[in-house]
Formats: sequence, C-alpha cells, structure tokens
Amino acid sequence: MKTFNVVGKNIKRNDALEKATGKAMFSTDMNIPGMLYAKVLRSPHAHALIKSIDTSQAEKIPGVKGIATWGNTPRELFNTSATMTFTVPSMEPVLDQYIFDKVVRYVGDEVAAVAAISEKVAAEALKHIKVEYELLPAVFDPLEAMKPEAPIIHECHAGKNIPAEIVKFGMGDIEKGFAESDIIFEDVFKLPIQKQAQLETQAALAQVGSDGGITVWSTTQTPHPSRMIISKIFSTPQSKIRVLNPPYVGGGFGVRIGLSAKAEPIAVALSKLTGKPVKIVYTREEDFTSSDTRHGGYVWVKLGCKNDGTFQAMELKSALNAGAYCSFSGETPGVLGAMGLAVYRMEHMSYYGHSVYTNFTPSGAMRGFGNPQAMFAIEAAVDTIAERIGMDPLELRLKNIIQVGDNWCLPYTCGSTGLAECVEKAAKVIGWERRGTLNEPGSKILRGIGMGVGTHCSNAWPFCVDYDNAIITVQQDGSILLAVGVPDIGTGTSTTLPQLAAEAIGVEMSQVNMTFGDTLTTPFDIGSHASRTLYAAGTAVVAAGNDVRKQILEYAAVVMKIALERLDITKGIIHISGSNEAESCEGSGICRSGEESMTHISVRELVYHAHLRNKQFIGIGRTIPPNSPPWHAHFYEVEVDTETGMVKVVKVAAAHDVGKAVNPMIVEGQIEGGVLMGVGYATSEEIKISAKGKPLHTSYHKYLLPTAMDAPEIHAIIVESNDPSGPYGAKGVGECGMVLSAAAIGNAVYDATGIRFNEIPLTPERVYKRLQENKK
Amino acid sequence: MFQEYYMAESVSDALSFLNKGPGDAVIIAGGTDLLLDLHEGKKRTKSLVDITRIPELKNLSMEDGIIKIGAAVTHAQVAESELIWANAPALAMAAKKVGSLQIRNIATVVGNIINAQPAADTAVALTALGAKVTIADTSGTRDVHIDQLYEDVGKSRVDCRRELVTEVIIPAHEQNQSSYFVRLEQRKALALPMLNIAVMVSLEKGQQRFEWVRIAMAPVGPGPMRATNAERILKGTEIDDEIITKAAYEAAAQANPRDSDLRGSREYRLQVLPALVKRCIKTAVAQVVNKG
Ligand SMILES: Cc1cc2nc3c(=O)[nH]c(=O)nc-3n(C[C@H](O)[C@H](O)[C@H](O)COP(=O)(O)OP(=O)(O)OC[C@H]3O[C@@H](n4cnc5c(N)ncnc54)[C@H](O)[C@@H]3O)c2cc1C
Repeated sequence: MKTFNVVGKNIKRNDALEKATGKAMFSTDMNIPGMLYAKVLRSPHAHALIKSIDTSQAEKIPGVKGIATWGNTPRELFNTSATMTFTVPSMEPVLDQYIFDKVVRYVGDEVAAVAAISEKVAAEALKHIKVEYELLPAVFDPLEAMKPEAPIIHECHAGKNIPAEIVKFGMGDIEKGFAESDIIFEDVFKLPIQKQAQLETQAALAQVGSDGGITVWSTTQTPHPSRMIISKIFSTPQSKIRVLNPPYVGGGFGVRIGLSAKAEPIAVALSKLTGKPVKIVYTREEDFTSSDTRHGGYVWVKLGCKNDGTFQAMELKSALNAGAYCSFSGETPGVLGAMGLAVYRMEHMSYYGHSVYTNFTPSGAMRGFGNPQAMFAIEAAVDTIAERIGMDPLELRLKNIIQVGDNWCLPYTCGSTGLAECVEKAAKVIGWERRGTLNEPGSKILRGIGMGVGTHCSNAWPFCVDYDNAIITVQQDGSILLAVGVPDIGTGTSTTLPQLAAEAIGVEMSQVNMTFGDTLTTPFDIGSHASRTLYAAGTAVVAAGNDVRKQILEYAAVVMKIALERLDITKGIIHISGSNEAESCEGSGICRSGEESMTHISVRELVYHAHLRNKQFIGIGRTIPPNSPPWHAHFYEVEVDTETGMVKVVKVAAAHDVGKAVNPMIVEGQIEGGVLMGVGYATSEEIKISAKGKPLHTSYHKYLLPTAMDAPEIHAIIVESNDPSGPYGAKGVGECGMVLSAAAIGNAVYDATGIRFNEIPLTPERVYKRLQENKK
Repeated sequence: MFQEYYMAESVSDALSFLNKGPGDAVIIAGGTDLLLDLHEGKKRTKSLVDITRIPELKNLSMEDGIIKIGAAVTHAQVAESELIWANAPALAMAAKKVGSLQIRNIATVVGNIINAQPAADTAVALTALGAKVTIADTSGTRDVHIDQLYEDVGKSRVDCRRELVTEVIIPAHEQNQSSYFVRLEQRKALALPMLNIAVMVSLEKGQQRFEWVRIAMAPVGPGPMRATNAERILKGTEIDDEIITKAAYEAAAQANPRDSDLRGSREYRLQVLPALVKRCIKTAVAQVVNKG
C-alpha cells in the first residue's frame, strides 16, 4: 500500500489556535465603520394576509434609518436554499419566496425589517410598526394538508400542497417480489422536527458600494451559490457581488446551504435603502422559529423476505412536512428514497415520496438529509423480520447488504464497501454476544442492544449540479496558496484540503496556506454540504496539486538535467526517486542551482530560480466528482427505566467505512458529533407547536439537545476501504454519524422492552405510556 | 436596566442601603435568576445591592449538630462540601443538579430559596431536611421555617427590598438519619426537572422502624410540597415494602402537578411520582443501615 507523508496523519488543525483563543472571526463578530443594525418584524400568525403595514410611527423614532417591507424591496421570487442554483434539468427549482410577501405562512415569517443605529433602537421601532392581518385557516400535519378541504399554502402542480415533484423510482417488479416473499413486514413511522441548533445563529453584514457592487459577509455554507441567489434577487451581475465567510462559520449541519435563512437579502435590501452597511444577527429564538429544520413526517416501509432470510422486495414511501416554503423539500424525499433503497440487495424495489406544505417553519437540509428518517423505518423492519424468522439480526443484515458490483437503484456504481468489516468490528466493541442475557428477571431497569447499518453519499452528483475548482499558486518564496471556494463550517476543511494539496505536490503541510469561503479569491465551488467537501472539493485539490507538481518537475528536470521520470518531490525537496536522501539539503551547497552534479533542489529554491526566469507554477483542478457510498454500522446499548420510562444510551460502537481517513482525529470528531446529534434525535429533540402554530421549543433551554453530561461512551471506529474514486481513497463522512442513531436506538429499546416504537423521540413519557399499556 | 450597583460590606451596610439608600433597591446574589428577570422586564429596580462579598455570609460550617450555610455560599461549594455530603446528603445531591457548572459557580442556595420557584432543587432538599432561614431586617433577626416562606409561585414571603436572609440553618443528620434526592429530568444538565423529590428518614434504634419521615416533592404546587399524609402513614411503622409503597401512592394523591407542553403531562408525573418517592425512601434507609 502507498505510504503517505501528510494524508492519514492527525495534523493539528489550522484553525485550532485561533478558535481556542477566541480570535477567530465569525459573521457575528463583524464590525465596520458606519454600520447599522437590523431587526425583523415576524408574523405572530400561522397563516394570514397582510391587509396593511404602517411604518410611519416607527420611522419617526430617532436612530431609525430605514424600514423594508414588501412595498419597497424587490419582487423577485427565489428559494433561500441553493436548490435554485443546482436543480438539474428537466426538473425545475421551486421559487416560492420573496424577501417580504403580502401573505405570511408560518409563525415567524418575515413581515418587515428595520435598520437603525443600534439593535435596541431597531427592536424598539418594531413595536411601532402597525400591521393589519386577515387570518387564514392553517394546517400543520402533512397528511391533513393534502386533503381537499385544507387551505392552499402555495399553488402546486404535483398535487395539493405538494412542492416540486413526487419522487418515484424503483427496479424489478414489486408485486412479484412480495408474491414470492414468505414473510412481509409493513408499518408506518412518524418522525419529529429536529433543529440543527448550530452554535452561530444566522448572520450577515452587507455593504453596497456607490457603483452598486455588493459585498456580503455571512454564515452561508455555499458562498458561490449564495452569490447567484443574491444576483437574481437584486438584479446585479454576479461579477459585482462578493460573498464571503469572515472566514469562519459557527456550524452548519445544512441550515445554510444557500442563504442563511433571509439574513443576506434583508441586510442587502436595508443597505440599499440606507446607503450604509447593515448587519443582522438572528436571535436564537429567530434561528429556531425562522430558519430551516429537519423534515418531520411519515415513512411507510414494506419489506418482503424468504424464510431463509433472503430479501425479496422493499417498498418505501414518504410524506414529509415541508413547512411553509419549499427550500430543499424537493430533494429531501429523493435522498430519503435513494439512500433507503441502497443498503440491501434485492431484485424488487420501489419508492414513492414527496413533501407537503404546511404552516410550520420551513424544513430544509439537515445532516443526513432524509436518510435518518428512512433508516428508522427500514432498520425496524429488518429487526422485526429477523425475529419472525428466528435469525440473528446481525446475520440477516450481513446476508443482504450490497456488495461491490451489485445491481442497485443508484445512478452510479458501488465502488467500495467496508460494511461487513464495520459490522464485525462494532459488534465486537459493543459485545453483541451479550444480547439476550442482559436482564435479571424482575429487574426494573432493562438493558438492550440494537444495531443498524446504512450508507450515504459523498456528494450530490448526479442528483444536483455538483462540480469543483481549485487553484494552487506557488508563490515566489516557495510557499503555496490553495484557493477553494468551500467554507470551513467547523468540519476541518481548512486543514484537510491543504493536507491533500501538500500530499499531492510533495511538500510539508506548513508550506501550504489556503483561502476559502470567498467568491472573490476562489473559483466557483458548489459549497460545503452533502458530506462532499473533502471528497469532491478534494478531488479538485488533488488535480490542482498534481498539475503543479507536474509543472515543477518538468522545470526541475531541465534545471537538474535529470530525466523527468526519475524525479520525485518529498517534503519540499525535489530529488531522484528511490534515493532516500530527501532530508533538507538547503544551505549544504548541493541544492544550489546551476551545479553540474545536482541531485536535490528544494521547491523553494527552484521556484525562485524560475521567478528570475519569468516563470510561475499555477495548478488548476477542475473536476466533476464521481460519487461513492460511505458505509456505517452502529450498535447502541441502552437502559430503560421501567418505572419512569427514561431511556439512557449507555454505550455506542459506531464503525464507519470512510474510504480513507485523511485526518483520523477529525473523522472521529465527525462521527462522535453525529452520534450525539442522533442520540438527541432519538431520545429528546423535537420542535412542537401550540394549537395555533406557535413553536414551543425556541431556545437552547427548552429544546433538548443532549449536553456533555448526557453523552454516552462512544467508540468511533474507522474502517478504510480505499475507494477508487475519492482523493487518496476518501469518501464522505460529515453526515454519516447521524444516519443510524434513531434506527439502532429503536432496536435497542425493543431488545430491552419488547416494545416497538414507531415514533421518536423516545421521551420518558412516551416510553412510560407504552410500558404501562404493555403490562395490561 | 438599573442605575446603581452597590457592593455591600456587611449585613448592616446592605440593610441600610436597602432601607435608607436611593430607594427601590433589590438584593442580588449570583444574579442567575434576578438578571434574567430584569432583562425580560419581569422585575424592575433602580439599584442592586450585591451581598456576595460580605465576609460573614460566606460561612459554611457545622457546630453542635447545626449546619449553617451563609447567603453568599454557592451551589458548587455545597456540592463539593464533604461536610454536607456527610451530614445532609440530599442537599449536596440537589446542589449538584442545579443548572450547569457555570451556574453552580455563581448561584447561591439562598437565592434558590428566595426566588421561590416550585421546583428549585436545593429548596426541595432543604424542605425535607427541615431547614430554617435567618432573616435580618433593621429591627433584628428571626428564624423562619422554610415551609413558611412561600407566598405563591415565584413569590417569597421574604421581602428582598427590605430584608436580607443571612443564612440557612439545617440540623445535621444523627446516626439514625439520612436523606436522599432524585430528579426526573429530560437531560442531565441545564434542564428544569419534571419532578424532584427529597426524603429524610429518621429510624428508631435497631433500624427496624421509622421514627419519622419527611417527604418533599415538586413541582406539584406553589412551592416544595410536603407529602404530609404519606409522612403520617410512615411515622413509627415497621420498615417494609408494602407500607413504603402505600405511602408513595399517598404522596401522589396529595400532589397537584400541572400539564406542561415542555415538561410532561400531569397524568404522567402523577404516575411516576410514587416510584421516585419509593426510591428515595429506600435509598435513604439503606444509607442509614450502611452507617452501621
Ligand atoms: C441556565 C440556568 C439554569 C438553571 N438551572 C436551575 C436548576 O437546574 N435548578 C434550580 O433550582 N435552579 C436553576 N436555575 C435558577 C437559579 O440559578 C437558582 O435559583 C439560583 O440558586 C439562584 O441563586 P442566585 O444567587 O443566582 O440568586 P439571584 O438571582 O441573585 O437572586 C434571586 C432572588 O433572590 C433574592 N435574594 C438573593 N439572595 C438573597 C438574600 N440573601 N436575601 C434576600 N433575598 C435574596 C434576589 O433579590 C432575587 O429576587 C437556573 C438558572 C439558569 C440561568
């Protein structure tokens, strides 16, 4: 196997010191001279017509510089999510939002915004804006919203309140598949609305120049697509707009793939109205009520199996809660079906799924993107079938999981799988063999172990537009500047992408610097989402690195008078391959250029040699990434207190086939974070609403994210299948840790109690109720 | 929010500022309740009197079987105190459960009582422990039983614009006594309890019978509530499962929790309350037995 110098090493993160010392800059920290502050007036109603808005009293308040409403802002339709920039023909992106509209469709919808000399003045001004509403009937459940009598939230062509398209695909003959099955499991599962709860709320600072040029610092995960959206809203050429992170983003988890809710367009609109820079930072409450959530809703699964455990057919359906605007509600049901059907090998499969508009906060992208919803249902089906045919659920899974080369429903091939190894390693760590022997008779605290397996994608190709560019410019002093348009949303890309560049060129990590998350200094990149950044942008970085390396070696071959094929670059020294004298030779004399007997030269010296002869090395990587499935097996041990219904996750073994861990410590961090987010999803997190549609969980205090004290013992296990398509074998990681928690915890609770929960979160009250019913 | 922040140097200094100062002054200890209330406009004041630097209020000690906890003592200090773990364990357990480490490092036990929230963790423990507070005003001091301090939800009978609680007084456990605290919570930090229960038991010689039991439960009424009927059932009885179970259901019969969208239904809380009461009683009894 190839040995690496930089890849596969726990290189210290480039952002570690800045972040640990509090010096790292985030949008929320931005401050520029003359800046105004914005506050937004939000709808108190779930569905209403705005009959009139009177801003005259608010305008009189000293310090108020401008008020934006639907009357004085662009009437250009858009979609806050990047879907409007990357929906692939023949599909059409759904554009259903204005900055401000005459109709409000959820509690928290934007009505008006004030720019003032301070947040306090702006907040005071909001109280003096008079709005007259005419209430409209509202609907909150996706199944209700499809009924003929439900109010129309948006006109739709796919069906009543169904945004975008109904997603349908499959293979084989599903009816035949079930007819040939000995055992069929069929049930419906209900999923809650989860929130990303990223640390930095939505934020933007906009500055409009006298030439109409727009600069926006913001929390977006996708600066280039965001620039496209802003360009459309404000009818300004993309080349006159700069969108950037400053450079850090306090987490994403999907909540700002595209705009940061409406932070960017509100800031730009107010900046245009006032002629001053305008900053907006959402409060935590606004972030909860008025930025995208995970899709809740319903998933139906029907799984048919032979008595010997061979899967025959699977039918999957979904109806997800889109909330009031489309965002990613076209794509999420698609990914739910695609990932759900990609785990197990069988001849007959079918999927039918869509979202439904309701008067909830819009749902959009969140880590896992439909996949956790699918796997909660599917893995419950697999465990139930295993029990009915009397087979170990682990064996049943191993028997049916996809292998390299299998025919499956995805439009690309399965190039690698380490899933069997994941299962084996994680089963060992959790102690799978203890299953069934964990409880003494009469015990009030019941233990159980459950598992789940799954896959994901490593980017969005070919479902969405997905391509990458990287530029590597070797500076005259030999230092290297890597330019990639993806942000670092906390996942360490400003460390791992330079790692790839350093490896590709053959230099030390310390020689590479990176500019990122800025449309002015980087070429187009679709952004940091879909577990794609390292895999997809990495492919472009490696291509750019190889390009530079080739240029350097070609030049070196001439200078050194050695055949190109014989040369190599190691740790920044160009040397004859095979010779192990790659240690630094700088200053020793051998490196000096122009010498007859030259066997080594540092990149640094060669570059300056070239500079003096009017030459610079610039590498370009332009790639359309392929796609590849990462794989994962999660095992959870839980404790259920039968007297209170409390479910406690005790231990987790999470094995992930990540292809190749470019920076293992960062990979472990991603897995552990994903697991904990999944524990919250399974046991405590949910946004509920009042009867009138007012969200109840609107703060970190009320919304039950697990704390450090709730974190179970987590064993993150890395499996490396060395994917043929990814950079140095790597595949997607970011979302994967989150995909299986609910599925495996549901199975563990079943193992402990014998009760199947078709609905999460497994709050003590929900669990207790079923335990009581079960006693009867 | 407020105009003046005064660092009192002594109890008399604080009282004279409250009563003779610019007027409209309120005592602030850790400020973890008060500052939020001021910020949200639930309370208003012109000036704050900080009592946390007053030397005599920093006392945490035990003398002649009486534990004294000064008004400047934080939850973190109580949760780490060996003296409290040995002599009033329910209080240490409750203090350890408040908020998060950052909150515990500044919030005071006395503030927890005076803020008068129904489920204030240490107040629940102190109710079971039979604590009293010493209240000082310009005319002198008086000791009042914690049971007597609650006017209504969020409203203490101590007037923090005029009076100052200087300390909490708790009888230390004797050889035949112990206490325990449990909390039904949605997560392990930074979450208000769905239920919290504290129990103190006093056993007769030979450890076969209860001498008496004190049971405090919350949030099932305006303040921590004594399960007096359950206590009566247990008084002087032989310790056995059946009677403990009976008492535990009697406690639930006396409780009056509310439906909460965020923290569980009334029905659920009533259903699980007996199990928690039982756990507390049994563990407290076991702790006495373990003492020998
Ligand atoms: C994030 C967070 C989490 C929390 N979690 C919990 C929890 O889990 N459990 C829980 O019980 N509480 C919790 N609390 C509430 C709070 O921390 C406690 O009630 C705390 O004990 C209050 O003490 P303090 O010193 O901060 O009081 P302060 O806020 O300073 O004062 C509270 C009230 O008491 C009065 N007061 C204070 N000292 C005196 C005195 N010596 N004499 C007269 N009046 C006085 C004040 O005037 C004020 O009215 C939490 C609070 C926060 C912000």
